[in-house]
Amino acid sequence: MTNLTQSRVWTWGLGLWMLSGIVQTHAQSVDYQALEQLFGEPVTTSVTGKPQRAADAPANIEIITQDDIRRSGAISIPDVLAFVTGVDVRTSGLGAQDVGIRGYNQAANPHVMVLINGRQVYMVDYGRILWESLPVQLSEIRQIEVVKGPNSALYGFDAVGGVINIITYDPLKESVNVASLGGGTQDYLTGSVVGTAKIGETAGLRLSAGGFKAHDFAPGPLNRTDTLTRQSPFAGNFNADGRWQITPQIEVFLEGSYGTMRESRPTPASLFDTEQLHQWSLRGGVNADTPIGILSLSVYRNQVSLDGLTITLPKLQPLAAYEQQSVTVIQASDLLKIGTDHTVRVGLEYRDNAATASGFGGRLADIDYAASLMWDWQIAPAVTATNAVRIDHVEVSYSGTPTGVSGLTAAKFNAVRIDAPSLNSGVVWKATDVDTFRFTLARGVQLPTLAEQGAQINPGTTSPLGFYGNPNLLPSITWNAETDYDRSLPAINSVLRTALFVQRTDAVIATDFGGPLTIVSRTVAYRQAANVGYSTAAGFEIGIRGHSPSGWRWNLSYALAETTNHTGLNAGGVIVSAQLYAHSVPEHVMVAGIGYAYEKWEADLMARWQSSFLDVRAPRTPGPLQLVSIDNYVTFNGRVGYRVTDNVTVALVAQQLTAPRLITTAGAPQERRLIASVTARF
Amino acid sequence: MVAVMTWVLPSQVWGASFAATDLQVVGRAIAFMLPPPAPDAIIAIAYVAGNAASRQDADAIAALISGGLRAGRTTLRPRVIDINGLEAGGFQVVIAAAGANGPRLNAAARAARALCVTTDIEAVRSGFCAMAITSEPRVQITVNHAVAAAAGIEFVAAFRMMIQEL
Repeated sequence: MTNLTQSRVWTWGLGLWMLSGIVQTHAQSVDYQALEQLFGEPVTTSVTGKPQRAADAPANIEIITQDDIRRSGAISIPDVLAFVTGVDVRTSGLGAQDVGIRGYNQAANPHVMVLINGRQVYMVDYGRILWESLPVQLSEIRQIEVVKGPNSALYGFDAVGGVINIITYDPLKESVNVASLGGGTQDYLTGSVVGTAKIGETAGLRLSAGGFKAHDFAPGPLNRTDTLTRQSPFAGNFNADGRWQITPQIEVFLEGSYGTMRESRPTPASLFDTEQLHQWSLRGGVNADTPIGILSLSVYRNQVSLDGLTITLPKLQPLAAYEQQSVTVIQASDLLKIGTDHTVRVGLEYRDNAATASGFGGRLADIDYAASLMWDWQIAPAVTATNAVRIDHVEVSYSGTPTGVSGLTAAKFNAVRIDAPSLNSGVVWKATDVDTFRFTLARGVQLPTLAEQGAQINPGTTSPLGFYGNPNLLPSITWNAETDYDRSLPAINSVLRTALFVQRTDAVIATDFGGPLTIVSRTVAYRQAANVGYSTAAGFEIGIRGHSPSGWRWNLSYALAETTNHTGLNAGGVIVSAQLYAHSVPEHVMVAGIGYAYEKWEADLMARWQSSFLDVRAPRTPGPLQLVSIDNYVTFNGRVGYRVTDNVTVALVAQQLTAPRLITTAGAPQERRLIASVTARF
Repeated sequence: MVAVMTWVLPSQVWGASFAATDLQVVGRAIAFMLPPPAPDAIIAIAYVAGNAASRQDADAIAALISGGLRAGRTTLRPRVIDINGLEAGGFQVVIAAAGANGPRLNAAARAARALCVTTDIEAVRSGFCAMAITSEPRVQITVNHAVAAAAGIEFVAAFRMMIQEL
């Protein structure tokens, strides 16, 4: 038998064995609803890939339930996150929000990984999140899982600040049928519909659609074009999620979405601009419970068409921005319990982040091959250790003609290779029935984004300065150490949680807008992305959350996050970069909430106080950025709901209840919002 | 020897009474059996013949699930059975009333290829029963993997990853 023939026999044999394993196996993948009902608390897979009770996970995780979302009265996901301990939300307007975790947040923040049912939903240009473009309605969300701290060993780059995993209801197991209509001040109008159809016991399809439009806040001193577009944001999304249980052991899924939006938001350069885009996504996959573990295969593609970008700076040539972005991902994993004490997860991933844009002079792509291994070991009934590693190998692919004065060439791009290991390690010690300690260590990796590698904005396009990416950027590395202590207080149905963390990020990546200045001649100069030193962070969190059988619920928390800047950016007091790091996020934040439900009534009031911080604003004429001190403030949100019938609820929501106008960033002030809504559930 | 001694200990030592919340956990846990319980399957409540306290406990448990024990998409019907009568089989799950844990219950469960459930963790550690559950203050499920395997009992992989196995 030749080597080739032997190889084929082995390949076919392995394939048949795996297939027979699948056929003879017995169950589907994670059933969130059934496991949550069994254990009486939310279940997550966001930390290790293995299903776990949140309290048992080897990371600091907060789970926001559908009940929390509904009673918050939030009209966006960041509105919900703003009341989570350790989370910072920068609101620049309706639909324009950036979310950071533990001390790092900025315009177009790339430090947080956001997923919808495991599908990563970032923009490939700067790794930022356009929250209003996410094709998910609040009423179809089962839970939002917020993992604080780096989790790169499971998710790869972008997960250096944390992970936000949005889990929707499973159409195979949960029927959600909701229609909602709302309107309020700022001419705000919103509506959403979610419907689930089941075909017997083995197939389910959930369709959802929704959107909003509004006449947003007073624009401030802007040019006419931006004033018009800025004051009329809108978003509309459609999503389909189908699941089919082929056998009791095998489940396949297919998801698709479409969305469009226009919103104004600060760019990484702190310019306050308007973006309009369309996006599509398609994802399919299979989960099978086999004798060799839970095998999962997922393939998806996200595509974004950026139709227009309006630049605020007056008298300058608008950037003829068109951009086609795509993310293509293939993920395969095997999750297996070995014996009684060990669970391992082996993962392989292929990722192609690509953009074709005038600002790249062609097509630029990062092709990432990754392998990961997670090992969870129950050392003793009360002690579990988890270790996870991941290796990313990135190759850059460029086709086009680099432009400008930066000296970039196609060969320089195509020669780039990056290898980056990530690590997550944790020990959970359940000292007693009510006391849990958690010790974690993580090495997170922030890979350079496409714009940071390949942007080519020539001098005179948007500014006398040119702005360029740098293909030779190194990944930014974040080390994080953390100790948590949780205590259940059953006498008052509450849980007390504390966390203490320290962090250091090396090889900080300055974006193309904020990197070092190169002077070519008296009239030609440019900035270029670069690795620029390090930043540290340290912080503490303490919070209590509980409820009473009589219908009361409460929460109170305090978070401290102090960051330092050793990057050399903005040296000499000349502000050229929005990446301030030191004092750029409120160091002190307190969140409080109280709610009561009585018969057909629900009432909730939430408050957030945050200390002052520094933000930056782009001037109306070319020049250094302006440093703006944002004073400390307190804001209150409230909701009152009344169940008119078993199916219909009306609610009144007030956001920023105590202040008609509030300065929350260096952008335009935020206005108080009053929103009335009616929701029907079937 | 230990097993024999255990078997003859009075029911106060091997107390196995189930609260309503415990039974709710039992129902939800057995929904993760492979294959899931058949429709109208029997959940036996085993008591010790001649032990009034044990019989009383079994009757109390049966009363708590007189309408059936919901387990996923199916409902199990309770049947109080003298431990000597378990040999006849016909049940998919057996829960141990006070004093019923021991080698005879284990043998009967294994012969019937049924899952044995108790609230007594020591009975699981000793290999007399496959699953122990507690519902307060926190749901805890412990499975003796060898005992379950001997009875041909398997569970969904995700469930196995969330419980403690011995």
